Amino acid sequence: MKKIRATAAAFALMLCSLLALGQSPVHADTYARISGSGSTWSQNALDQWRRNVTQYGMTVDYTGNGSTIGRQQFADHTVDFALSEIPYGMTEFGVREPPPTRGYAYMPIVAGGTAFMYNLKIGGRRVTNLRLNGDTVTKIFTGKITNWADKQIAADNPGLSLPSRKIIPVVRSDGAGSTAQFTLWMSKQHGALWNDYCRRLGKPVPCGLTSYYPVVPGSGFIAQNGSLGVSGYTRQNYAEGAITYVEYSYALTTGFPVAKVENAAGYYTEPTASNVAVALTKAQINQNKDSSQYLTQILDGVYTYQDSRVYPLSSYSYMILPTTLEAPMTAAKGKTLGAFGYYFLCQGQAQADPLGYSPLPINLVQAGFDQLRKIPGAVAQSINIAGCHNPTFSTSGVNTLVKNAPFPRACDKAGTQQCPSGTGGAQHISTPVKPSASTSGGGSTGGTTTGGSGTNVGTSGGSSGTTAGSTGGTAGTTTAGGTSGTAGTTTAGGVDPDTGLATGDSTGSSGGAQDIAASSVSVGADSFWGLRTWLMGISALLLLAVVVAPPALARRLARPGSTTGRRDERA
Amino acid sequence: MVVDAGAAADRPRRLYADSGLPDRLFRGVATGGGALVLAVMLLVGGFLTYRGWQALREAGWSFVTTAQWDPDARHFGIAAVITGTVLIAGVAIVFAVPLAIGTALYISEYAPFRLRRTLVSTIDLMAAVPSVVYGLWGLFFLQGKVIGLARWLSTYFGWIPLFKVDGADPNDPLATATVYTASTFVAGMVVAMMVTPIICSVIREVFSQAPIGEREGAYALGATRWGMIRSVVLPFGKGGMIGGTMLGLGRALGETIGVYMIISPVFVVQPHILQAGASSVSSLIALRYGEATPFAMSALMAAGLALFLMTLVVNFAASSIVARSRSGATAE
Repeated sequence: MKKIRATAAAFALMLCSLLALGQSPVHADTYARISGSGSTWSQNALDQWRRNVTQYGMTVDYTGNGSTIGRQQFADHTVDFALSEIPYGMTEFGVREPPPTRGYAYMPIVAGGTAFMYNLKIGGRRVTNLRLNGDTVTKIFTGKITNWADKQIAADNPGLSLPSRKIIPVVRSDGAGSTAQFTLWMSKQHGALWNDYCRRLGKPVPCGLTSYYPVVPGSGFIAQNGSLGVSGYTRQNYAEGAITYVEYSYALTTGFPVAKVENAAGYYTEPTASNVAVALTKAQINQNKDSSQYLTQILDGVYTYQDSRVYPLSSYSYMILPTTLEAPMTAAKGKTLGAFGYYFLCQGQAQADPLGYSPLPINLVQAGFDQLRKIPGAVAQSINIAGCHNPTFSTSGVNTLVKNAPFPRACDKAGTQQCPSGTGGAQHISTPVKPSASTSGGGSTGGTTTGGSGTNVGTSGGSSGTTAGSTGGTAGTTTAGGTSGTAGTTTAGGVDPDTGLATGDSTGSSGGAQDIAASSVSVGADSFWGLRTWLMGISALLLLAVVVAPPALARRLARPGSTTGRRDERA
Repeated sequence: MVVDAGAAADRPRRLYADSGLPDRLFRGVATGGGALVLAVMLLVGGFLTYRGWQALREAGWSFVTTAQWDPDARHFGIAAVITGTVLIAGVAIVFAVPLAIGTALYISEYAPFRLRRTLVSTIDLMAAVPSVVYGLWGLFFLQGKVIGLARWLSTYFGWIPLFKVDGADPNDPLATATVYTASTFVAGMVVAMMVTPIICSVIREVFSQAPIGEREGAYALGATRWGMIRSVVLPFGKGGMIGGTMLGLGRALGETIGVYMIISPVFVVQPHILQAGASSVSSLIALRYGEATPFAMSALMAAGLALFLMTLVVNFAASSIVARSRSGATAE
C-alpha cells in the first residue's frame, strides 16, 4: 500500500513539474495580463486573436456583454479596453451618452456585415437562398410583415413559394452595437417605417439609432442577449420561422443561411469579405486627428453606393483604447495592448475572412498604428507597416480584396430569376427554385431574363454612373454565354462552378416540392373529448393504479392478524 | 427611605470573573465579525437607498404600480419586474422542493453508507456549477425539451389563467412553437436546478438530526422504514423543510444570469407563465446597467433596493424558522 502511494506521489510530482514546464515557454518578452469587454458582434474575431497570441505569452481576457456595457465599463475604469460598434456621444431616444473622463481613442479592428440569419423550411427542406430588400427587412423588424407568405417577400423571391408561417423576429435584449448599426440603417434608409414603429411604442420621433431594441409586448418578437443568444435561439428546431440580425460570422459558425439583401444597384448580395470591403470604400472616416471622434465612421455613403457587389449593412467595429495612465491602466499593460493591437491589425487580419469578417484596408491599418502609439507603454518602434502581413495590401497600394471582388451573378439581380445556391453557413446546400425563376431553363429563358434585368439596371440606377454601366456589361456577357444553357450561366457567375452544377440537377425536382409546401395542412378541429383526451385520462388512471394498487392489495392480502401492527405504525 | 436603605443593603454582591485574555480576544473578534456583517448589510441598503432616492422621489407611489420601464421618459416602475421575479421564483420552488426532499431523504435514509458521501459531494458540486452554465444548458438543451410539456399544459389547462398562452393555436400545424419559449416557466426550471442543492443540503442536515432513540422506537414498534420516516423523520424535519425552502426562495429571487439568458424581457405584468416574455428585477439590472444617464442608473438602484428588501424579508423568515426547528421540539 505504502509503495503504491509513494509511486503515485512520484507520478503526481512528475506531472506537476511537466505542467510547470509547459506553462513557461521561452520567450523574450513578458506581458502583463489585460482585460476588456463589450461587443459580441466582433467577438468571434477577437477570441480567435487572443487565442493566437497566447503563444507569445500574452493573456487577454475578454467578456462579450454588449457594446453598451463595454463602453460603460471602460468609462467606469473597470476594463483596460472596450469593443464597440458605435462611439461615445451618440444620442439615443433623446439621451446623449457622455464621453468618459479618462483619455481614449478609437481604433478600427475589423470590418463585417450585419447579416440576417434565418431558420425557414419549405416542405421540410431548409431554405438557403432567401432574398430580402431593405424595405422588407424593415417591415419585418417593425412588425408590419408578420407572415413568410407575404406578397412582398414573394416579390423578392420569385423562385420560392414560402409557407404561411409566422415570422419570429429575434432581437437583442441587451445594449448592442449590432442593434445600433441596424437601427441607424433603418432610420436613414427607411425612416418613415422606423419612426412609425417608434410612435407605436410611445417613443419621441423622429427616432434615430438605439442600442436597446424596443419591443411591443405580445407582438411575437423574441429578445435574447448577446450575438450567441440570438443566433443560438434562431438555430433551434422549435424556432422555425425566426430571423435575426447578427454578424455574418455567427451564421457561418452555426451553419445557417443569411438573407441576401438588395443593394442600391438592385442586386441581392451576401456579406462576404469582398462585398463588405467594396461597400466600405464609401465609408466616410473622420480624418481629423485632433477630434475625439478621429477614425469613426459615417456610413450614409455605404447604404447608397451603386456598385453591384455592395452589401449595404457593412460597418467597422472599433476598439476603445486608453491614452492615459489612469487605473486600471499601467505601462506594462500598455505594452501588451500595443503588441496585441499590432498583431491583429496585421497577421490577425488574414483570419478575418474565414471567420466571417472582412480585413481592414491599408489606410485604416496605418491610422490604427497611430492610435496604438498613443497607448502609454506601447513599444512604438515595433509598430510599423513593414512586416505587416495583411491580405488587403498590395505593392501598388490598391486594396486587393476590392480589386478581386467577384461580381454577383445575373440570377442575383432583382427580377424574375433567383439563384438556388446557398448562403452563409449553408453555402453548400442549394435550394431548388421554381422552373420559371431558374437560370438554367435553356436558351429562351436566358434571353428573356437578361432582358428583364437590363431594364432593372435602368430603373434602379437613376443617375447611373459608370458602375451601372459596368454591371450592365456583366449582364450582357451572361446572355452572350447563355446560349448554351447551364454552361453559359456558370461561367458568367464565375464564383463557384459547383453551385452551377447543383442548379442544373435540382431544377427538375423543384416543382413538386414547392406545391406541397405551399398548401398548409388543415387538421380537423379537435373537440375536447377526442381520442387523445380519453387516452390521457386512461393513462392518468393507470398511473394512479400503479401507485395505489400495490399497497392496497398487499394490505388486503395480509389482513388476518396484521391490523394491530398498522395501528402502531401510525402512532 | 428605610425600605430603600434595606434594599440597598440586601443587594447581592456583584460577581466578577476574569475570563482571561484569549477569551476576551475571541469574544471581541466574534462580536466584531457579527457587527461587520450587519454593517455591510446596512451599507448596501444605505447605498441603494441613497443612489435610488432621486428616482424614488421623482416616481413616488407610481414606482410600485407602473409596469413600463422607461426612466429617461420618467415613466418607470417595478410592477412588472417584481411580479415576474416572484413568478419565476415560484416556479423554481415548485420544481426544486419535491426534488430536494426526495434527494435528501434518499441520502439520509436509504442510500448505502459508502455511497452517501459521494452523493453529498455530488450535490455540493451542483451548487458550485456557475449559473452561466445552467443558463447555457437551459437555453440550448432544456428549452427545446420543455416545449412539449408547456404546449400540453396550455392546451388542456389553458382555462386556468396562469397556463394561458395568447397567440397559440394547438390545431394549426404551422403554428410557431416560439410562443412557449423564453418564458417564466423555462427560466423557473433552470433556477430550480440552481436552488435544489441549497434546499437539499439544509433538509438533509435536519433529517440526519432526527433523534436516534425515536427512530429505533418506531422500528421496535414494528414500523417499516417508510413508516419510521413518516412518523419520525418528516415531522422532526418539518421546520427544516420550510426553512430550506425559504432559503432557496431567497436565492431564486436574486438569480440573475440564468434568468437573463433564457427570458425575452417584457415590461408588462405577465401572469401567463408558459408564454414567451418574462421579466425579473435582477435580469433588468444586468441588461440595463450600461444605461447612460444618472437618472436611469438611479432607477435601477431603486429596483435593486426593492429586490434587496424582498430578499431580506424572505431570508430573515427562513433563518428564524430554521433556528426554531433545530430544537427538535416537534418530535419530542
